[in-house]
Amino acid sequence: MATSNPSREAILARIREGLRTPAPPMEAKTLDGPIFEPVQNPLERFQQECKANLMECQVTADASGSAQVLAQVLNSLPAGEVFLQDDPVLRRLMENSGSARQLQWSSQGGPAETAQATVTLADALIAQTGSIFVSAACGGRGASVVAPCHIVYATARQLVPDLVTALRTATAQGRLDNHSFACIISGSSRTADIEKILVQGAHGPMRLVVILETNS
Amino acid sequence: MSSAAEQFLRDAATKSADLVHREIIRRNMDSYEAAHQRGRSRIKNWEAARRRCQEIKREAIEHLDKYLLQFEEKVIAHGGHVFWAANGDEACAYIKDLAVSRNVRTVVKSKSMVTEEIHLSPVLEKVGIKVWETDLGEFIVQLRNEPPYHIVTPAMHLNRQQIRELFREKLGEDIADADPQKLVALARRKLREAFFAAEMGISGANFLVADSGAIAISTNEGNGRLSTSLPRIHVAVTGIEKIVPRLEDLGTLWPVLATSGTGQPITTYSTLIGGPRRPSEADGPEEFHVVLLDNGRSSLLANAEEREVLTCIRCGACLNICPVYRNIGGHTYNTTYQGPIGSVLTPHLRGNDFQHLAQASSLCGACSSVCPVNINLHHHLLHNRRDAAASGNAKASERAQFRLWRTAMLHPGLYRLGGWMMRRSLRLLYGMGLAGTVFDPMRAWSRKRTPMPLPAKSFRTRWKEGLEKEEQGRGQVGNK
Amino acid sequence: MARKVSLFVPCFVDQLQPQVAVDAVKVLRRVGCEVDFLPDQTCCGQPAFNTGFWDEARPCAERFLRVFKDAETIVSPSGSCTTMVRAFFPELMASGALHDEAVALGKRTFELSEFLVRQMGLTDVGASFAHTVTYHASCHGLRELKLRDEPLQLLRGVKGLKLVDMLRFDECCGFGGTFATKFESISVAMGDSKADNIAVTGAEYVTAIDPSCLMHVQGILGRRKDRARAIHLASILASEA
Repeated sequence: MATSNPSREAILARIREGLRTPAPPMEAKTLDGPIFEPVQNPLERFQQECKANLMECQVTADASGSAQVLAQVLNSLPAGEVFLQDDPVLRRLMENSGSARQLQWSSQGGPAETAQATVTLADALIAQTGSIFVSAACGGRGASVVAPCHIVYATARQLVPDLVTALRTATAQGRLDNHSFACIISGSSRTADIEKILVQGAHGPMRLVVILETNS
Repeated sequence: MSSAAEQFLRDAATKSADLVHREIIRRNMDSYEAAHQRGRSRIKNWEAARRRCQEIKREAIEHLDKYLLQFEEKVIAHGGHVFWAANGDEACAYIKDLAVSRNVRTVVKSKSMVTEEIHLSPVLEKVGIKVWETDLGEFIVQLRNEPPYHIVTPAMHLNRQQIRELFREKLGEDIADADPQKLVALARRKLREAFFAAEMGISGANFLVADSGAIAISTNEGNGRLSTSLPRIHVAVTGIEKIVPRLEDLGTLWPVLATSGTGQPITTYSTLIGGPRRPSEADGPEEFHVVLLDNGRSSLLANAEEREVLTCIRCGACLNICPVYRNIGGHTYNTTYQGPIGSVLTPHLRGNDFQHLAQASSLCGACSSVCPVNINLHHHLLHNRRDAAASGNAKASERAQFRLWRTAMLHPGLYRLGGWMMRRSLRLLYGMGLAGTVFDPMRAWSRKRTPMPLPAKSFRTRWKEGLEKEEQGRGQVGNK
Repeated sequence: MARKVSLFVPCFVDQLQPQVAVDAVKVLRRVGCEVDFLPDQTCCGQPAFNTGFWDEARPCAERFLRVFKDAETIVSPSGSCTTMVRAFFPELMASGALHDEAVALGKRTFELSEFLVRQMGLTDVGASFAHTVTYHASCHGLRELKLRDEPLQLLRGVKGLKLVDMLRFDECCGFGGTFATKFESISVAMGDSKADNIAVTGAEYVTAIDPSCLMHVQGILGRRKDRARAIHLASILASEA
């Protein structure tokens, strides 16, 4: 379906007409040096920032350690099903966790309203802001926001130092050409709309858990 | 004076005398300020960050046509639709027709000031569609049937007791201790039903990324995520000025926006959406529409001197620091965008009725000093004042007054005489105890301030008579 | 050789607060300047300019240029009026033949504390003032002339003076020229916030570099019958033991 766009040309014409007069020049100013403190140790920085973002970051040495952590987190949650990104890595991890929960896989659609947790991979981790970078490939859109707990399984090799690097990589990889959605998630859902008091779990997850494997 | 101006004066007088209001805002602003300071200190070179953001947005605006077309091409290639709306009516009609043709009964909205600007919700409600504001602050003011009080924190003017009362009345549940945690949980429960029922989600956009054909939305609550993930149609409504050239530009803009908005290093969800769900994806809307709104922006663009106002990223920092905003609050402006940016922008978007807003400023410049994209806000207020005077909308009496004043200032003899007469007559009047009464021509000064000092001699008289002589006579210079 | 200084006395200082200018003369002479006052000067045009009446302001500014044409160095005890000359004259005369002259004039016009600290290299001007003082940073001086530390450096150099910090010392007091009377309620509310912050310091005096702000602040303090009094920086610097 082509959108009928009666005003498109008129708006563009007005913009072009308006831009004929150049804006006054910017005040001359040279500000050298980096805007953000360069990240020296990505793993350390990521953990620090996770803490500041009220995320739970559990560092594990290998896949069996990760499966254990997953089992612990799932055990701490109320009864209910778990939604997972359908990926062989996560199928293996889930199997090794020994959890007996009812599972729902992303190949069957988005998470149900009643899902207690979602488990996904990430495209990258960003040290500068303690963020996880997900796209629609990580189990879709609802996977990182519908359930009260979002668990991300990632490896230290996925760490990038800062946002600009993460976004440049995404552009180079055409991530938004290949997926309809991407999100940089930096903590659990929160609000401070009432008297500026921070409350976690506004509409999205109250908990965001990163299982970060260092040796894989 | 326009009726909007008269209303403004009345509301400003009421609000600035409302001490409860002043205290609520003071406490809010204090916590914002502390967070903002902490946030700024985390950025190594804040001035360089501002400069970078200014350059990015300026480049985008200076090539607005090119970048909008690039954005449009990508969105369409991704299977989305782009609608160009010259004004609010066109935007509302497009969205309403879309909703009706798709049998939409329920709409969930994530925070969008542009939809406030075009008054979208009433248009949808008129055709029987239920509209839910899902940002907590927006949800609260919607329940109160009020416009947002602040572009970032819409319910800043309410304390928890007032919100408890509102929820008890409108949602039928009483959170006895008014615990914010429980109030939020109640709103979460109510809105969750709406998220899963809605057929259409409407969002704004903080940025439009030209090279990726994606909209960028910054939210903390996750309501923006749910509104754009669960319903089968997603409509993003946004101003044409929100464009940025490259995805990597957000690497600076996102942290700067979050720092200026709330003091966070980055908002919890920095979301990018480039189209409808792909066949391989687990979920997401089947349709994706972007409504690009002009509504006066292209005329502001044509004004080269004030064009930079379009680079605003709506962080709210200028509202938070503004001493006028702090005293009169958001609703007194009676505009979609409040505070300094609103006072600069509104006359361009809504015309002469809002020229008084430029006058309602002490021109202190605090706004410009915090603006993360270096918009020279208070100088633009000055320009708006100049344009108002030049357009002939100024009060005739004021113009006459300044003409008279000019004549005096161009003739030192007249100036001396006028000054002497003024001091002399006011001294007489005040000597009779009439300061601040209807007989006092300076009563707007002296009603709530002690009268201005009225010395017997001007400086020039004293200079002429000889300061040295004075000095010897008194032995010592007094302090007052 | 004594530095020649031509005093720019803003119209409302001339008419309403002459002592501020008298004190400025005293300080300048004490530090060895030769002070002159050109009696032909009137107003720089700021009231009209700030209200939007640029056509009314322009002739005043042009006249100012003529009056001070031959002055080597111009000093004024007002951050606001100095701002008008340095920052806004060039804009007001942007398209005229006088633009370059306005820019040049702005470069040799200084606010008093700016002149003393940056031009004369002084922080101690031999003043003595045994009182508790808090400082309010007037907007134009702070944000247009970028005078953040200069007045404080001078205050720290005053014998016997105890300087106390004020919360929100850089928030506008609410004067704002015609704003003070056009939007009386907002201006007074802002003044009250300022007075609250002054009161918390317990200072005997609040000082600033702008006589107009101080007149407003004193008006508010007076109405509230607060303890603190407003005093111009020049008057503190003029005080001797």
